[in-house]
Amino acid sequence: MSAKIKENNYDQQTVLVCCGTGCTANGGRKVYEAFVEKVKDHPEWEVQPVLKSTGCNGWCEKGPLVRIMPRDITYCSVTPKDVDEIINKTLLEGSLVKRLLYRDPVTKEHLTSHHQTGFYRKQHKVALRNIGEIDPGRIEDYIERGGYQALDLALHKMSGQEVIDAVKASGLRGRGGGGFLTGIKWQSCKDAPGRPKYIICNGDEGDPGAFMDRSIMEGDPHTVIEGMILGAYAVGASQGFIYVRDEYDLAVQYLGKAIEDARSHGYLGPNILNSGFSFDIEIVRGGGAFVCGEETALIASIEGRTGEPKDKYIFPSEKGLWGQPTVINNVETWANVPVIILHGADSFASIGTSGSKGTKVFSLVGKVVNTGLVEVPMGTTLREIIFEIGGGVLKKRKFKAVQTGGPSGGCIPEELLDLPIDFDSLTQAGSMMGSGGLIVMDDHTCMVEVARYYVNFLAGESCGKCTPCREGIRALLEILTRICNGEGRPEDVEMLEEISTTMQEASLCALGRTAPNPVLSTLRYFRDEYLAHIEQHKCPAGVCRNLTTFYIDADACTGCGLCKKQCSVDAIQGEKKEAHVIDESLCIRCGECFRNCAFNAVKIR
Amino acid sequence: MKVKINGQELEAREGETILELCLRHDIPIPHLCYHPAFGGQGACRMCLVELKEPGRANNRLVASCTYPIHSSVEVTTESERIQRLRRNIVMLLARRASQNPWMKELAEQYAAPSLPPVQTEPADCILCGLCIHACEKMGKTAIWSMFRGIEKRIATPYDEAADECMGCAACAQICPTQAIKVEEGAAIRTIWNKRFQLVACRRCGKNFATREQLEYMRESSGYEVDELCDHCRKITLAQSMRQYNR
Repeated sequence: MSAKIKENNYDQQTVLVCCGTGCTANGGRKVYEAFVEKVKDHPEWEVQPVLKSTGCNGWCEKGPLVRIMPRDITYCSVTPKDVDEIINKTLLEGSLVKRLLYRDPVTKEHLTSHHQTGFYRKQHKVALRNIGEIDPGRIEDYIERGGYQALDLALHKMSGQEVIDAVKASGLRGRGGGGFLTGIKWQSCKDAPGRPKYIICNGDEGDPGAFMDRSIMEGDPHTVIEGMILGAYAVGASQGFIYVRDEYDLAVQYLGKAIEDARSHGYLGPNILNSGFSFDIEIVRGGGAFVCGEETALIASIEGRTGEPKDKYIFPSEKGLWGQPTVINNVETWANVPVIILHGADSFASIGTSGSKGTKVFSLVGKVVNTGLVEVPMGTTLREIIFEIGGGVLKKRKFKAVQTGGPSGGCIPEELLDLPIDFDSLTQAGSMMGSGGLIVMDDHTCMVEVARYYVNFLAGESCGKCTPCREGIRALLEILTRICNGEGRPEDVEMLEEISTTMQEASLCALGRTAPNPVLSTLRYFRDEYLAHIEQHKCPAGVCRNLTTFYIDADACTGCGLCKKQCSVDAIQGEKKEAHVIDESLCIRCGECFRNCAFNAVKIR
Repeated sequence: MKVKINGQELEAREGETILELCLRHDIPIPHLCYHPAFGGQGACRMCLVELKEPGRANNRLVASCTYPIHSSVEVTTESERIQRLRRNIVMLLARRASQNPWMKELAEQYAAPSLPPVQTEPADCILCGLCIHACEKMGKTAIWSMFRGIEKRIATPYDEAADECMGCAACAQICPTQAIKVEEGAAIRTIWNKRFQLVACRRCGKNFATREQLEYMRESSGYEVDELCDHCRKITLAQSMRQYNR
């Protein structure tokens, strides 16, 4: 590279281009290729910059992200056209491309590194520690950042029991939703008679809006593999399976490459690192069923049977895959294991709350300014996540609720925003941690419609085996649809509760037992809204078409004409700078004018 | 292993489920998807019982057909809670077969409120899954459940006449709501969209099996099959034994 760079003491610069699924969709891969092309044109540079495509940095809202190390410069929303300028100004001259830096919306200051932004400041990366920092296709990158050291330590200095004891002492709980203590699960598998034993990684992430596990599998596949090998060593398993949701093509690619590389480096296969311990991993692609995230259904699916769950009166840790003792943990759980072994259980247990240790990865989506992937210590409040990290509600609208835990979770209202979130607090609030989806909703969201949406999702995703789940969902969906259509009956609320409690108590698996949560939690915190639909025939959020009539408040209307322009049926009339009027006979109640009016002049009658 | 059922101490056999133990001692527990030939599926959830396990404070609800007795538990088979759940399960299930006499009786027995009927395919099917197990037990997989969630139904692959189906009608015989339709003419049986030639007993002349069934028996046993119905086979067997003994 040029002499100038040397003066600045930057011997070697690394350009990290985010090529997670979100950034790739926005052209991240093309940006990376542009860098490769441009650098190829300059063989005369003494020190060539290192170019890496990385996994998801989490800040999908601002992607594609380009980071320059070691100076820790972050450029947002980069296009291939910007590459020349970045090379000339930043790599060669050492100056910044100001227009690509993130500008703080409050202070209006340009921030050099993403670490200075509100989005990252409060985060604490454990499971996501390598993502965005390494090229997931290169095992050397993982090793350089301390990868496979935990494995080396465990195989040569620790017994299997000591590994389990460390996991127990760390207080790690399953990140897939249930929150079962990982160490206890492993101990039960170790103590169970029967060989061979199996290890499964559950990568069948299916909650709407959740992508934590995908990002880990795509961005740092080796941490999942190392975690699994450690688990296998601890319980004495010889074969592992990674069950990946079929839609996760990139994850399958990277995991496949990582498994091959781990084998060739002696981390997988016979006699790992000359310890005498042997273990290997196979990838199984899922069949596209949400219910296969349930342990017993997942096992059935790997065995080649229909993905239906069974009663878990004997846990898979005793009788699982092909009737053998099996440990199933979720992707994020496995990603935490190498950290616990390498840095010690105490260090891990020092993060979090008394009942939930460590960090949790959330996918923050919905009506929030910064959508993306965030990892925070357990016990962080919802307010911190949504308003400090997430930057608050989009378009400065009013916050209404946050849906946690996917279809099995519930909606948490504003009054509980200061709830420190962990497994137990969310369950008490009538929701659940789930796998970590957080969907932010503003005041234009109808909570009855939200409940209907989730029940409708489950109507297609329940396996349909047991009566309470299958028929309960059918009945809930009928009633909720009726209420949204303006045909709700006075007895409907009571019936919703009766069916919901039956489903909670009598269903076969966790899917059915938690399926009514979206209904019960909205009934608990937004009962007024249900009653408004049924008794007053009104949808307060202006979403349910049969229950909504829009009008324009002449005093508030400035006559800007935005609503008129957006109305797809020409139902709005009015002269520029004069109050507009909605023709109710033409209006199809799509709500576009209501949601987009900058002066809140469109109102509900 | 000693367990307490409704306060009464009973001895459970190795690997026995709560339902099997209770049925063995004439303690009634309602069940729709359990059959002694196949064991429990845990699908209908009618057989839920309350369980008090050592070391657990609260009673737990379990499906008695799939819960293997492995510790000295205390079981309650009837309670207000159980009664309410069974009533609601019948309420949810009855709408699938609202005009079926057997189902009507069940709904009356539990005083289950009626919900508007649901059209199922085949009509009156309550998805207990017994037909699938019967077919499997016969050594075939002509029918299976297809789709998921509220769309789930029992069918042959692609709803076509299945190569695997031999027309034995074991599925129809075991169905509690007679949802599986079997049409039987003079020499033809139609089931699951497939027609079968019926074979008459060479002794009494009554139709007793399909041609495919006898073919399957021949293939799987390796013996020639005498074309006799059950009744006549017993008679001929008895006659030949009498001759032999003489």
